[in-house]
Amino acid sequence: MLEIRALSKRYAVDDGEILALADIDVEIDEGEFVCLLGPSGCGKSTLLKIVAGLIPPSDGVIRIARREVTAPGPDRAVVFQDYALFPWMTVADNVEFGLAARGVPSERRRAVSGELLRAVGLAEFAGKYPHHLSGGMKQRVSIARALAVDPVLLLMDEPFGALDAQTRFVMQRELLRVWRTYRKTVLFVTHSIEEALYLGDRVLVMTARPGRIKAAIAVPQERPRDIASLEFTRLRAHTLDLLSDEIAKSMAQEATAELTS
Amino acid sequence: MSEIAIESAAARRESAGHRRRLSRETRLGWATILAFLVLWKLVHASGIFPPWAFPSPEQVLMAFVKTLRSGELLKNTWASVARQLVGVALAALVGIPLGIALGASRNARAALLPLCRLMYPIPGIAWIPLAILWFGIGFKSTVFVIFFSGIWPILFNTMTGVATLDGQYTDVARVYLAPRLFYVRRILIPGSLPYIITGIRLTYGVGWRVIVGAEMISSITGLGFMIDDARWQLRPDIMVAGMITIALIGWVMENWAFDWLERVTLERWGMKSIA
Repeated sequence: MLEIRALSKRYAVDDGEILALADIDVEIDEGEFVCLLGPSGCGKSTLLKIVAGLIPPSDGVIRIARREVTAPGPDRAVVFQDYALFPWMTVADNVEFGLAARGVPSERRRAVSGELLRAVGLAEFAGKYPHHLSGGMKQRVSIARALAVDPVLLLMDEPFGALDAQTRFVMQRELLRVWRTYRKTVLFVTHSIEEALYLGDRVLVMTARPGRIKAAIAVPQERPRDIASLEFTRLRAHTLDLLSDEIAKSMAQEATAELTS
Repeated sequence: MSEIAIESAAARRESAGHRRRLSRETRLGWATILAFLVLWKLVHASGIFPPWAFPSPEQVLMAFVKTLRSGELLKNTWASVARQLVGVALAALVGIPLGIALGASRNARAALLPLCRLMYPIPGIAWIPLAILWFGIGFKSTVFVIFFSGIWPILFNTMTGVATLDGQYTDVARVYLAPRLFYVRRILIPGSLPYIITGIRLTYGVGWRVIVGAEMISSITGLGFMIDDARWQLRPDIMVAGMITIALIGWVMENWAFDWLERVTLERWGMKSIA
Protein backbone atom coordinates (compact mmCIF):
# COMPACT_ATOMS: atom_id res chain seq x y z
CA MET A 1 0.00 0.00 0.00
CA LEU A 2 2.52 2.55 1.23
CA GLU A 3 6.10 2.10 0.18
CA ILE A 4 8.97 4.32 1.29
CA ARG A 5 12.27 3.61 -0.46
CA ALA A 6 15.78 4.85 0.43
CA LEU A 7 14.39 8.08 1.77
CA SER A 8 16.53 10.73 3.41
CA LYS A 9 16.09 14.35 4.42
CA ARG A 10 18.78 16.99 4.83
CA TYR A 11 18.27 20.49 6.11
CA ALA A 12 20.51 23.41 5.25
CA VAL A 13 21.64 25.30 8.36
CA ASP A 14 24.02 28.25 8.81
CA ASP A 15 27.19 26.14 8.95
CA GLY A 16 26.38 23.31 6.57
CA GLU A 17 23.73 20.61 6.66
CA ILE A 18 21.81 18.53 9.14
CA LEU A 19 20.90 14.99 8.21
CA ALA A 20 17.44 14.56 9.70
CA LEU A 21 16.40 11.24 8.19
CA ALA A 22 18.51 8.52 6.59
CA ASP A 23 17.97 5.18 4.84
CA ILE A 24 14.27 4.99 5.51
CA ASP A 25 12.68 1.93 3.99
CA VAL A 26 9.16 1.14 5.06
CA GLU A 27 6.34 -0.93 3.68
CA ILE A 28 2.83 -0.79 5.04
CA ASP A 29 0.01 -3.12 4.01
CA GLU A 30 -3.53 -2.16 3.22
CA GLY A 31 -5.53 -1.76 6.43
CA GLU A 32 -2.48 -1.99 8.67
CA PHE A 33 -2.07 0.23 11.73
CA VAL A 34 1.60 1.19 12.03
CA CYS A 35 3.09 3.32 14.78
CA LEU A 36 6.23 5.37 14.33
CA LEU A 37 7.93 5.54 17.72
CA GLY A 38 11.02 7.60 18.49
CA PRO A 39 12.70 10.10 20.80
CA SER A 40 11.99 13.78 20.36
CA GLY A 41 13.85 15.34 17.44
CA CYS A 42 14.33 12.02 15.64
CA GLY A 43 12.44 13.23 12.59
CA LYS A 44 9.33 11.05 12.95
CA SER A 45 7.00 14.01 12.39
CA THR A 46 9.15 15.12 9.47
CA LEU A 47 8.79 11.67 7.94
CA LEU A 48 5.03 11.88 8.36
CA LYS A 49 4.95 15.30 6.69
CA ILE A 50 7.04 13.99 3.81
CA VAL A 51 4.57 11.15 3.32
CA ALA A 52 1.76 13.72 3.46
CA GLY A 53 3.48 15.63 0.66
CA LEU A 54 3.93 18.77 2.75
CA ILE A 55 7.76 18.61 2.70
CA PRO A 56 9.83 17.22 -0.17
CA PRO A 57 12.37 14.48 0.66
CA SER A 58 16.02 15.03 -0.26
CA ASP A 59 16.34 11.54 -1.68
CA GLY A 60 14.17 8.52 -2.13
CA VAL A 61 10.64 7.84 -3.26
CA ILE A 62 7.23 7.31 -1.75
CA ARG A 63 4.66 5.19 -3.50
CA ILE A 64 1.05 4.69 -2.64
CA ALA A 65 -0.64 1.81 -4.44
CA ARG A 66 2.50 1.64 -6.60
CA ARG A 67 2.17 5.24 -7.79
CA GLU A 68 4.85 7.71 -6.81
CA VAL A 69 3.58 10.70 -4.84
CA THR A 70 5.37 14.03 -4.40
CA ALA A 71 2.55 16.34 -3.28
CA PRO A 72 -0.57 16.14 -1.13
CA GLY A 73 -3.30 14.07 -2.72
CA PRO A 74 -6.85 12.81 -2.19
CA ASP A 75 -5.48 9.44 -1.04
CA ARG A 76 -4.07 10.89 2.20
CA ALA A 77 -5.41 12.89 5.14
CA VAL A 78 -3.55 14.22 8.18
CA VAL A 79 -4.58 14.58 11.82
CA PHE A 80 -2.35 17.18 13.45
CA GLN A 81 -1.20 17.25 17.05
CA ASP A 82 -2.86 20.53 18.00
CA TYR A 83 -6.01 19.76 16.01
CA ALA A 84 -5.53 22.66 13.55
CA LEU A 85 -9.27 23.29 13.42
CA PHE A 86 -10.39 26.61 11.97
CA PRO A 87 -11.89 28.65 14.81
CA TRP A 88 -14.07 30.65 12.41
CA MET A 89 -15.86 27.58 11.07
CA THR A 90 -18.49 25.56 12.90
CA VAL A 91 -17.70 21.97 13.81
CA ALA A 92 -19.68 20.76 10.77
CA ASP A 93 -17.90 23.19 8.42
CA ASN A 94 -14.55 22.05 9.77
CA VAL A 95 -15.43 18.41 9.11
CA GLU A 96 -16.61 19.33 5.61
CA PHE A 97 -13.54 21.42 4.81
CA GLY A 98 -11.85 18.89 2.54
CA LEU A 99 -15.09 18.18 0.70
CA ALA A 100 -15.85 21.88 0.26
CA ALA A 101 -12.33 22.41 -1.09
CA ARG A 102 -13.08 19.73 -3.68
CA GLY A 103 -16.35 21.39 -4.65
CA VAL A 104 -18.68 18.70 -3.25
CA PRO A 105 -22.24 20.12 -3.13
CA SER A 106 -23.52 21.12 0.28
CA GLU A 107 -26.27 18.48 0.81
CA ARG A 108 -23.76 15.74 0.14
CA ARG A 109 -21.29 17.42 2.54
CA ARG A 110 -23.91 17.73 5.28
CA ALA A 111 -24.74 14.05 4.93
CA VAL A 112 -21.09 13.05 5.30
CA SER A 113 -20.37 15.36 8.24
CA GLY A 114 -23.60 14.30 9.93
CA GLU A 115 -22.66 10.65 9.71
CA LEU A 116 -19.08 11.19 10.86
CA LEU A 117 -20.04 13.45 13.75
CA ARG A 118 -22.45 10.75 14.90
CA ALA A 119 -19.65 8.20 14.58
CA VAL A 120 -17.36 10.23 16.86
CA GLY A 121 -20.22 11.09 19.25
CA LEU A 122 -20.43 14.81 18.48
CA ALA A 123 -23.67 15.00 16.50
CA GLU A 124 -25.18 17.66 18.73
CA PHE A 125 -22.10 19.90 18.40
CA ALA A 126 -22.34 20.35 14.63
CA GLY A 127 -23.30 24.03 14.88
CA LYS A 128 -20.87 24.94 17.65
CA TYR A 129 -17.51 26.64 17.17
CA PRO A 130 -14.31 24.75 18.11
CA HIS A 131 -13.48 26.95 21.09
CA HIS A 132 -16.53 25.52 22.87
CA LEU A 133 -15.00 22.03 22.71
CA SER A 134 -12.51 20.26 24.97
CA GLY A 135 -9.19 19.01 23.59
CA GLY A 136 -10.49 15.47 23.16
CA MET A 137 -13.58 16.67 21.34
CA LYS A 138 -11.48 18.88 19.05
CA GLN A 139 -9.33 15.93 18.11
CA ARG A 140 -12.46 13.89 17.31
CA VAL A 141 -13.52 16.67 14.95
CA SER A 142 -10.08 16.63 13.37
CA ILE A 143 -10.33 12.85 12.88
CA ALA A 144 -13.81 13.25 11.37
CA ARG A 145 -12.41 15.92 9.02
CA ALA A 146 -9.73 13.48 7.89
CA LEU A 147 -12.22 10.62 7.38
CA ALA A 148 -14.62 12.89 5.48
CA VAL A 149 -12.43 12.91 2.38
CA ASP A 150 -12.30 9.10 2.49
CA PRO A 151 -8.52 8.72 2.23
CA VAL A 152 -6.84 5.34 1.91
CA LEU A 153 -4.03 6.42 4.23
CA LEU A 154 -4.60 8.24 7.49
CA LEU A 155 -1.54 10.07 8.80
CA MET A 156 -1.62 10.98 12.48
CA ASP A 157 1.02 13.25 13.99
CA GLU A 158 1.04 12.69 17.77
CA PRO A 159 -2.70 13.35 17.78
CA PHE A 160 -3.18 12.68 21.48
CA GLY A 161 0.04 14.29 22.71
CA ALA A 162 -1.67 17.36 24.11
CA LEU A 163 -4.39 15.44 25.98
CA ASP A 164 -4.46 14.41 29.63
CA ALA A 165 -3.92 10.74 30.46
CA GLN A 166 -7.59 9.75 30.89
CA THR A 167 -8.81 11.52 27.77
CA ARG A 168 -5.92 10.04 25.90
CA PHE A 169 -6.91 6.51 26.85
CA VAL A 170 -10.52 7.09 25.84
CA MET A 171 -9.39 8.57 22.52
CA GLN A 172 -7.12 5.60 21.80
CA ARG A 173 -10.03 3.20 22.23
CA GLU A 174 -12.26 5.43 20.12
CA LEU A 175 -9.66 5.59 17.39
CA LEU A 176 -9.46 1.80 17.25
CA ARG A 177 -13.24 1.62 17.02
CA VAL A 178 -13.31 4.15 14.18
CA TRP A 179 -10.39 2.41 12.48
CA ARG A 180 -12.27 -0.91 12.58
CA THR A 181 -15.40 0.74 11.18
CA TYR A 182 -13.73 2.61 8.32
CA ARG A 183 -10.84 0.23 7.65
CA LYS A 184 -8.14 2.77 6.88
CA THR A 185 -4.42 2.25 6.70
CA VAL A 186 -2.92 4.28 9.52
CA LEU A 187 0.54 5.71 10.08
CA PHE A 188 0.60 7.03 13.63
CA VAL A 189 3.48 9.04 15.09
CA THR A 190 3.99 8.94 18.85
CA HIS A 191 6.70 9.15 21.48
CA SER A 192 4.76 6.99 23.92
CA ILE A 193 5.74 3.32 24.07
CA GLU A 194 2.42 2.31 25.65
CA GLU A 195 0.44 4.17 23.02
CA ALA A 196 2.40 2.60 20.18
CA LEU A 197 2.05 -0.92 21.58
CA TYR A 198 -1.60 -0.45 22.49
CA LEU A 199 -2.58 0.77 19.02
CA GLY A 200 -0.26 -0.63 16.39
CA ASP A 201 -0.17 -3.86 14.43
CA ARG A 202 3.46 -2.97 14.05
CA VAL A 203 5.71 -0.49 15.81
CA LEU A 204 8.66 1.04 13.96
CA VAL A 205 11.27 2.18 16.46
CA MET A 206 13.41 5.07 15.24
CA THR A 207 16.92 6.11 16.23
CA ALA A 208 17.97 9.55 17.45
CA ARG A 209 18.92 12.01 14.71
CA PRO A 210 19.61 11.14 11.94
CA GLY A 211 16.41 9.16 12.18
CA ARG A 212 16.63 5.60 10.92
CA ILE A 213 14.31 2.66 11.42
CA LYS A 214 16.06 0.75 14.19
CA ALA A 215 13.59 -2.10 14.56
CA ALA A 216 10.12 -3.21 13.59
CA ILE A 217 8.16 -4.81 16.38
CA ALA A 218 5.11 -6.86 15.49
CA VAL A 219 2.38 -6.76 18.12
CA PRO A 220 0.48 -10.02 17.78
CA GLN A 221 -1.95 -9.46 20.68
CA GLU A 222 -5.66 -9.31 19.94
CA ARG A 223 -7.43 -6.00 20.55
CA PRO A 224 -8.53 -4.66 22.95
CA ARG A 225 -5.12 -5.22 24.47
CA ASP A 226 -4.61 -5.67 28.16
CA ILE A 227 -1.81 -3.31 29.07
CA ALA A 228 -1.39 -5.10 32.41
CA SER A 229 -0.85 -8.51 30.81
CA LEU A 230 2.51 -10.25 31.03
CA GLU A 231 2.84 -10.32 27.26
CA PHE A 232 2.29 -6.58 26.98
CA THR A 233 4.72 -5.88 29.84
CA ARG A 234 7.43 -7.96 28.16
CA LEU A 235 6.92 -6.20 24.88
CA ARG A 236 7.10 -2.85 26.62
CA ALA A 237 10.37 -3.79 28.35
CA HIS A 238 11.83 -4.93 25.04
CA THR A 239 10.78 -1.71 23.30
CA LEU A 240 12.10 0.43 26.12
CA ASP A 241 15.41 -1.40 25.81
CA LEU A 242 15.59 -0.51 22.14
CA LEU A 243 14.55 3.06 22.74
CA SER A 244 16.47 4.06 25.86
CA ASP A 245 19.84 4.42 24.08
CA GLU A 246 18.18 6.61 21.50
CA ILE A 247 16.50 8.76 24.12
CA ALA A 248 19.88 9.26 25.84
CA LYS A 249 21.46 10.21 22.50
CA SER A 250 18.67 12.58 21.65
CA MET A 251 18.95 14.29 25.04
CA ALA A 252 22.71 14.66 24.58
CA GLN A 253 22.08 16.23 21.14
CA GLU A 254 19.61 18.66 22.63
CA ALA A 255 22.04 19.59 25.41
CA THR A 256 24.83 20.22 22.89
CA ALA A 257 22.53 22.32 20.75
CA GLU A 258 21.56 24.30 23.84
CA LEU A 259 25.18 24.91 24.80
CA THR A 260 26.35 25.95 21.34
CA SER A 261 23.39 28.23 20.62
CA MET B 1 -25.56 17.91 41.09
CA SER B 2 -25.23 20.14 44.15
CA GLU B 3 -21.68 20.90 43.13
CA ILE B 4 -22.86 22.23 39.80
CA ALA B 5 -25.51 24.31 41.51
CA ILE B 6 -22.97 25.85 43.87
CA GLU B 7 -20.59 26.57 41.05
CA SER B 8 -23.17 28.31 38.90
CA ALA B 9 -24.37 30.33 41.88
CA ALA B 10 -20.77 31.42 42.46
CA ALA B 11 -20.47 32.31 38.79
CA ARG B 12 -23.65 34.36 39.04
CA ARG B 13 -22.36 36.17 42.10
CA GLU B 14 -19.10 36.96 40.37
CA SER B 15 -20.78 38.27 37.24
CA ALA B 16 -23.08 40.40 39.40
CA GLY B 17 -20.00 41.79 41.14
CA HIS B 18 -18.50 42.41 37.74
CA ARG B 19 -21.56 44.43 36.70
CA ARG B 20 -21.37 46.50 39.87
CA ARG B 21 -17.72 47.28 39.31
CA LEU B 22 -18.41 48.28 35.73
CA SER B 23 -21.17 50.64 36.70
CA ARG B 24 -18.92 52.20 39.34
CA GLU B 25 -16.32 52.78 36.62
CA THR B 26 -18.97 54.25 34.34
CA ARG B 27 -20.05 56.59 37.14
CA LEU B 28 -16.45 57.70 37.63
CA GLY B 29 -16.15 58.48 33.94
CA TRP B 30 -19.32 60.54 33.92
CA ALA B 31 -18.23 62.37 37.07
CA THR B 32 -15.05 63.51 35.34
CA ILE B 33 -16.99 64.75 32.32
CA LEU B 34 -19.31 66.63 34.64
CA ALA B 35 -16.34 68.15 36.50
CA PHE B 36 -14.94 69.24 33.15
CA LEU B 37 -18.21 71.01 32.29
CA VAL B 38 -18.20 72.75 35.68
CA LEU B 39 -14.61 73.87 35.17
CA TRP B 40 -15.50 75.13 31.70
CA LYS B 41 -18.38 77.13 33.14
CA LEU B 42 -16.14 78.56 35.88
CA VAL B 43 -13.48 79.63 33.38
CA HIS B 44 -16.17 81.29 31.29
CA ALA B 45 -17.62 83.07 34.33
CA SER B 46 -14.18 84.27 35.49
CA GLY B 47 -13.87 86.43 32.37
CA ILE B 48 -10.26 85.45 31.62
CA PHE B 49 -11.25 85.08 27.95
CA PRO B 50 -13.34 87.63 26.10
CA PRO B 51 -16.93 86.37 25.63
CA TRP B 52 -16.75 86.59 21.80
CA ALA B 53 -13.93 84.02 21.83
CA PHE B 54 -15.04 81.68 24.63
CA PRO B 55 -18.59 80.31 24.70
CA SER B 56 -20.30 78.99 27.82
CA PRO B 57 -21.70 75.44 27.91
CA GLU B 58 -25.26 76.81 27.67
CA GLN B 59 -24.38 78.89 24.61
CA VAL B 60 -23.01 75.77 22.95
CA LEU B 61 -26.17 73.87 23.84
CA MET B 62 -28.22 76.70 22.31
CA ALA B 63 -26.07 76.60 19.18
CA PHE B 64 -26.82 72.88 18.95
CA VAL B 65 -30.54 73.48 19.15
CA LYS B 66 -30.39 76.32 16.62
CA THR B 67 -28.27 74.51 14.04
CA LEU B 68 -30.40 71.40 14.48
CA ARG B 69 -33.59 73.40 13.90
CA SER B 70 -32.21 75.15 10.84
CA GLY B 71 -31.06 71.83 9.41
CA GLU B 72 -27.51 73.15 9.11
CA LEU B 73 -26.07 70.64 11.58
CA LEU B 74 -27.69 67.56 10.04
CA LYS B 75 -26.82 68.64 6.50
CA ASN B 76 -23.16 69.14 7.37
CA THR B 77 -22.97 66.02 9.52
CA TRP B 78 -24.40 63.93 6.71
CA ALA B 79 -21.95 65.47 4.22
CA SER B 80 -19.00 64.55 6.46
CA VAL B 81 -20.26 61.06 7.30
CA ALA B 82 -20.95 60.25 3.63
CA ARG B 83 -17.42 61.30 2.62
CA GLN B 84 -15.97 59.39 5.54
CA LEU B 85 -17.87 56.19 4.74
CA VAL B 86 -16.99 56.33 1.05
CA GLY B 87 -13.33 57.13 1.81
CA VAL B 88 -12.99 54.33 4.36
CA ALA B 89 -14.81 51.87 2.10
CA LEU B 90 -12.43 52.71 -0.76
CA ALA B 91 -9.43 52.37 1.54
CA ALA B 92 -10.68 48.94 2.64
CA LEU B 93 -11.52 47.89 -0.91
CA VAL B 94 -8.01 48.66 -2.09
CA GLY B 95 -6.12 48.09 1.17
CA ILE B 96 -7.40 44.61 2.05
CA PRO B 97 -6.64 42.88 -1.29
CA LEU B 98 -3.33 44.71 -1.54
CA GLY B 99 -2.51 43.77 2.05
CA ILE B 100 -3.33 40.13 1.32
CA ALA B 101 -1.05 40.20 -1.72
CA LEU B 102 1.75 41.82 0.29
CA GLY B 103 1.33 39.38 3.17
CA ALA B 104 1.19 36.30 0.96
CA SER B 105 3.89 37.05 -1.58
CA ARG B 106 7.51 37.86 -0.91
CA ASN B 107 7.83 39.29 -4.42
CA ALA B 108 4.89 41.62 -3.91
CA ARG B 109 6.52 42.83 -0.69
CA ALA B 110 9.85 43.41 -2.38
CA ALA B 111 8.22 45.29 -5.24
CA LEU B 112 5.71 47.43 -3.39
CA LEU B 113 6.82 47.95 0.18
CA PRO B 114 9.52 50.56 -0.52
CA LEU B 115 7.02 52.79 -2.34
CA CYS B 116 4.41 52.26 0.39
CA ARG B 117 6.92 53.10 3.11
CA LEU B 118 7.86 56.30 1.26
CA MET B 119 4.29 57.46 0.85
CA TYR B 120 3.09 56.47 4.29
CA PRO B 121 4.68 59.42 6.18
CA ILE B 122 2.98 62.02 3.98
CA PRO B 123 0.24 63.51 6.18
CA GLY B 124 -3.25 63.30 4.73
CA ILE B 125 -3.70 67.07 4.64
CA ALA B 126 -0.59 67.48 2.48
CA TRP B 127 -2.64 65.90 -0.31
CA ILE B 128 -5.33 68.58 -0.09
CA PRO B 129 -3.91 71.19 -2.55
CA LEU B 130 -3.24 68.51 -5.14
CA ALA B 131 -6.68 67.01 -4.53
CA ILE B 132 -8.28 70.39 -5.18
CA LEU B 133 -6.34 70.77 -8.42
CA TRP B 134 -7.45 67.33 -9.57
CA PHE B 135 -11.01 67.08 -8.28
CA GLY B 136 -12.05 70.63 -7.44
CA ILE B 137 -13.69 71.56 -4.19
CA GLY B 138 -16.14 69.18 -2.49
CA PHE B 139 -16.97 65.50 -2.22
CA LYS B 140 -14.32 63.93 -4.44
CA SER B 141 -11.30 65.79 -3.14
CA THR B 142 -12.26 65.09 0.48
CA VAL B 143 -12.79 61.40 -0.22
CA PHE B 144 -9.43 61.32 -1.95
CA VAL B 145 -7.71 62.78 1.09
CA ILE B 146 -9.44 60.35 3.47
CA PHE B 147 -8.49 57.48 1.19
CA PHE B 148 -4.83 58.41 1.06
CA SER B 149 -4.45 59.03 4.75
CA GLY B 150 -6.55 56.02 5.72
CA ILE B 151 -5.28 53.28 3.45
CA TRP B 152 -2.03 52.66 5.33
CA PRO B 153 -3.32 51.16 8.59
CA ILE B 154 -5.68 48.76 6.82
CA LEU B 155 -3.00 47.84 4.31
CA PHE B 156 -0.20 47.21 6.80
CA ASN B 157 -2.47 45.45 9.29
CA THR B 158 -3.87 43.08 6.68
CA MET B 159 -0.34 42.37 5.52
CA THR B 160 0.79 41.53 9.06
CA GLY B 161 -2.30 39.39 9.65
CA VAL B 162 -1.69 37.33 6.53
CA ALA B 163 2.07 37.07 7.07
CA THR B 164 1.70 35.88 10.66
CA LEU B 165 -1.15 33.43 10.04
CA ASP B 166 -0.51 30.07 11.72
CA GLY B 167 1.43 27.93 9.23
CA GLN B 168 -0.56 24.90 10.27
CA TYR B 169 -3.69 26.37 8.68
CA THR B 170 -1.79 26.45 5.41
CA ASP B 171 -0.71 22.83 5.93
CA VAL B 172 -4.34 21.81 6.45
CA ALA B 173 -5.33 23.68 3.30
CA ARG B 174 -2.63 21.89 1.31
CA VAL B 175 -3.44 18.45 2.72
CA TYR B 176 -7.10 18.88 1.76
CA LEU B 177 -6.19 20.29 -1.66
CA ALA B 178 -7.83 23.70 -1.23
CA PRO B 179 -7.71 25.74 -4.47
CA ARG B 180 -6.07 29.16 -4.24
CA LEU B 181 -9.17 31.35 -4.20
CA PHE B 182 -10.93 29.01 -1.77
CA TYR B 183 -7.88 29.27 0.49
CA VAL B 184 -7.93 33.07 0.38
CA ARG B 185 -11.67 33.28 1.03
CA ARG B 186 -12.06 30.59 3.67
CA ILE B 187 -8.70 30.76 5.48
CA LEU B 188 -6.54 33.80 4.77
CA ILE B 189 -9.25 36.42 5.23
CA PRO B 190 -11.06 35.02 8.29
CA GLY B 191 -7.72 34.01 9.82
CA SER B 192 -6.39 37.55 9.44
CA LEU B 193 -9.64 39.14 10.59
CA PRO B 194 -8.31 40.24 14.01
CA TYR B 195 -5.75 42.36 12.14
CA ILE B 196 -8.14 43.45 9.42
CA ILE B 197 -10.73 44.71 11.90
CA THR B 198 -8.09 46.59 13.87
CA GLY B 199 -6.84 48.01 10.57
CA ILE B 200 -10.29 49.30 9.60
CA ARG B 201 -10.73 50.70 13.09
CA LEU B 202 -7.48 52.67 12.73
CA THR B 203 -8.35 53.70 9.16
CA TYR B 204 -11.68 54.97 10.39
CA GLY B 205 -10.01 56.95 13.17
CA VAL B 206 -7.42 58.49 10.87
CA GLY B 207 -10.07 59.39 8.28
CA TRP B 208 -12.35 61.04 10.79
CA ARG B 209 -9.48 63.09 12.16
CA VAL B 210 -8.38 64.20 8.69
CA ILE B 211 -11.80 65.00 7.28
CA VAL B 212 -12.22 68.18 9.31
CA GLY B 213 -8.97 69.66 8.09
CA ALA B 214 -9.81 68.69 4.54
CA GLU B 215 -13.26 70.24 4.72
CA MET B 216 -11.89 73.48 6.14
CA ILE B 217 -9.85 73.95 3.00
CA SER B 218 -11.54 72.11 0.19
CA SER B 219 -15.23 72.13 0.87
CA ILE B 220 -18.31 74.27 1.36
CA THR B 221 -20.21 71.64 3.33
CA GLY B 222 -19.39 69.27 6.17
CA LEU B 223 -18.60 69.66 9.84
CA GLY B 224 -15.11 70.96 9.11
CA PHE B 225 -16.57 73.65 6.88
CA MET B 226 -19.19 74.50 9.52
CA ILE B 227 -16.50 74.97 12.17
CA ASP B 228 -14.29 77.06 9.91
CA ASP B 229 -17.21 79.10 8.63
CA ALA B 230 -18.19 79.97 12.20
CA ARG B 231 -14.86 81.78 12.50
CA TRP B 232 -16.00 84.40 10.00
CA GLN B 233 -19.22 84.86 11.91
CA LEU B 234 -17.35 85.07 15.21
CA ARG B 235 -19.46 82.23 16.56
CA PRO B 236 -17.28 80.08 18.86
CA ASP B 237 -20.44 78.38 20.18
CA ILE B 238 -21.09 76.89 16.73
CA MET B 239 -17.43 75.84 16.48
CA VAL B 240 -17.65 73.93 19.74
CA ALA B 241 -21.04 72.43 18.81
CA GLY B 242 -19.40 71.13 15.61
CA MET B 243 -16.45 69.75 17.55
CA ILE B 244 -18.71 67.93 19.99
CA THR B 245 -20.68 66.44 17.08
CA ILE B 246 -17.43 65.14 15.63
CA ALA B 247 -16.51 63.66 19.00
CA LEU B 248 -19.90 61.97 19.45
CA ILE B 249 -19.96 60.38 16.00
CA GLY B 250 -16.38 59.20 16.36
CA TRP B 251 -17.16 57.76 19.76
CA VAL B 252 -20.26 55.90 18.59
CA MET B 253 -18.46 54.37 15.60
CA GLU B 254 -15.25 53.49 17.34
CA ASN B 255 -16.84 52.11 20.48
CA TRP B 256 -20.06 50.59 19.21
CA ALA B 257 -19.89 49.77 15.54
CA PHE B 258 -16.46 48.13 15.65
CA ASP B 259 -17.08 46.46 19.00
CA TRP B 260 -20.23 45.00 17.51
CA LEU B 261 -18.28 43.78 14.48
CA GLU B 262 -15.80 42.05 16.79
CA ARG B 263 -18.58 40.52 18.87
CA VAL B 264 -20.29 38.87 15.90
CA THR B 265 -17.03 37.57 14.44
CA LEU B 266 -13.95 37.20 16.62
CA GLU B 267 -15.70 36.77 19.97
CA ARG B 268 -18.09 34.22 18.54
CA TRP B 269 -15.14 32.26 17.21
CA GLY B 270 -13.13 32.50 20.41
CA MET B 271 -10.38 34.46 18.65
CA LYS B 272 -8.55 37.35 20.24
CA SER B 273 -8.74 40.86 18.83
CA ILE B 274 -5.44 42.71 18.68
CA ALA B 275 -5.10 46.07 20.40
